[in-house]
Amino acid sequence: MPDQESSSEKKAAKQDKLIQLIVFRLGDEEYGIRIEQVKEVTVTPEIARMPKTPPFVKGIANLRGDIIAIIDLEERFKLRPASDQLPATSYTLAIEAKDYTIGIVVREVPQPLSIPLSIIEKAPEFIQDINIQDKYIEGIAKVDGRIIIVLDMPKLLSPTEIMQLQSK
Amino acid sequence: MKSREEEYREIFMAEALEYYDAMSRHISELEKDPADEKALHELFRLMHNLKANARAMGFNDIGEVAHRMETIFGLIRSKERTFSGSLVSVLFTGVDTLGGMIRAVDQDEEVANADKLLHNLDLLVEGEEPILEEDEGNADEDASRKLELSDLVYIQIKKLDHLLNLVGELIIDRDRILTLSQEIGNPALQAAASHLFRIADDLQYSVMDARLVNVGSLFNKFPRVVRDVAVAERKEVELTINGQDIQIDRNILQIITDALLHLVRNAIGHGLETPEERVRAGKPEQGSLILSAQTERDDVLIQVIDDGKGINVDQVRRKAVERGLVSAEAARNLDPSAVRAFLFEPGFSMAKEVTDISGRGVGLDVVKLAIDSLGGQLRVDSVLGQGTTFTLVLPTSIAVKGALLFELEERSYAIPLMHTDSVVSLQPKQLNVVGGILMARLLGENIPVVDLRKLLHDGDDALIPAIKTELVGRQDIIIVNYNNRKLGLIVDRFLRQQDIVIKPMSKPLDMIDLFGGVTLLGSGQVCLVIDVPALTRLFLAKRP
Repeated sequence: MPDQESSSEKKAAKQDKLIQLIVFRLGDEEYGIRIEQVKEVTVTPEIARMPKTPPFVKGIANLRGDIIAIIDLEERFKLRPASDQLPATSYTLAIEAKDYTIGIVVREVPQPLSIPLSIIEKAPEFIQDINIQDKYIEGIAKVDGRIIIVLDMPKLLSPTEIMQLQSK
Repeated sequence: MKSREEEYREIFMAEALEYYDAMSRHISELEKDPADEKALHELFRLMHNLKANARAMGFNDIGEVAHRMETIFGLIRSKERTFSGSLVSVLFTGVDTLGGMIRAVDQDEEVANADKLLHNLDLLVEGEEPILEEDEGNADEDASRKLELSDLVYIQIKKLDHLLNLVGELIIDRDRILTLSQEIGNPALQAAASHLFRIADDLQYSVMDARLVNVGSLFNKFPRVVRDVAVAERKEVELTINGQDIQIDRNILQIITDALLHLVRNAIGHGLETPEERVRAGKPEQGSLILSAQTERDDVLIQVIDDGKGINVDQVRRKAVERGLVSAEAARNLDPSAVRAFLFEPGFSMAKEVTDISGRGVGLDVVKLAIDSLGGQLRVDSVLGQGTTFTLVLPTSIAVKGALLFELEERSYAIPLMHTDSVVSLQPKQLNVVGGILMARLLGENIPVVDLRKLLHDGDDALIPAIKTELVGRQDIIIVNYNNRKLGLIVDRFLRQQDIVIKPMSKPLDMIDLFGGVTLLGSGQVCLVIDVPALTRLFLAKRP
């Protein structure tokens, strides 16, 4: 059965496929986003605080002519005490959501990392302990003793989800 | 700058040539397949349009030919004639003659005599055989016929939108470069920057100009609407249209289309009385409805004026109390214009019976929202028994708005001038506290004043009642005006007045309606543009 053979071959090839992640730290854990979802990584530009927005919305910034919202996921998911201020220099990941770009501020320089797709495991229940619902999580990758939580950004960044806002 | 007439003429020429091209195409199609109803229909429409345009421009010769051609195509359409025999050649000659006449007008030449053709067309209409003659010049003409391209380009509004956005960004960068060049102080750079400034200005003006259309392009759709509504409501209405050639951005016109439709239906449905009622009230049987446009400074004023029964302020007042919008006591003290403003509250309908045309409870609030979204104003004036006037104050162009910049907590904000009434600086002793709200008395009017910093403070709690002792020193206050309600905003410092290009708030922050958008200042700083309607609502919701 040559057909079956080729399809199983394909499967094997797919499992060995490498994917590139941008890895960053939020709270005490490491998180990863697929590189194709990241538009750019930059030093956080000047942010204008927007009144009447939740505290985790840091404000808006001018990123090469695009005005984008900058949010702090640590604050959004309470991964760090609220009293902790951002350092003087932070970094922003500009993430391409479905029909807009949004900035995610992180404290340390994000790093690229290639991993085989096959090592990403489905998220176990315990994830709920850290306040991030598992539906945003594509899976968990274990790489050399590190644990990287791979986020599914399009799900996380639906406007109602990310803003915790009820549409009026 | 060309005169209006010349511009019209150019548009007429371009359209006429295009019609001619389309006619030639369709008549050839019809020759191939005389049953082609689409081509026939098109030909009829083209003739009709050409006739109307030519007559409006005073080219009566063209109008006459087109008129007769239209009649014949109409007869073919109603199957009273067939597209065959001698009729075909006369119609072909007719199309060619029209082409020749259009070209002659274009070149300012004498329009050739078309009596023979007209006569033949008349014969055809009457069902007689036309007099055909071998035209010796025909072959010659065919050979020398030129192909012409239209001087007019149709362009998708989307492309113009894109162009306008790009120009908007260019203006922002230009201002930045200008600021930087002044800081650096290099004369050559400054000269280049000021040159860039001028060119960008011209470019912006040209792009905005390209988007302008005549208000008439919307107004001219109303005679039919008015007729239909008047028939349905059994009213007699005479519609007068003024200021069709006032120009306004095409998208603004698009956005107000429904609003205007609503106001016109309202005026006929609620405003104007039935002929009997009018006679009883000592008015002419026929009600008058005026649609007018005029420019006022940088704005365009569009008015819908009826001479109907007017708005009964006491009824509105009662209804507002019933709906719980205001306490009975407060309602008594409101002046008529403040009472009329209730008409724009969501779901506030005065219609007692629900009809197809008006009074479905959705109404003026929708009009209001459309105008608000443009940064415009909606006003209503009315004299009981004499009529009502709705006035739409609209910006000419969407892109650039005059704005007042101010500072609050070391950040710059902008408020569109459209909603700014005045700016004042007051000493604390000129302000009073009434019921926990600061009040300023200006020009005989009591205006509530609120510290913008407190109003914008996070949290959904009501404002803490104001205490006068908190005010120290001179207070800079911007008086904003929305829906006839004035509100004073205490800010840290006035900055300046400036034309700004407003970028819409990007998702997901567009859910926060307090800000109408953002603009980039010359310094590159992001500046939030306050949405006065939303701010006013916030104040009403949070007042102590």
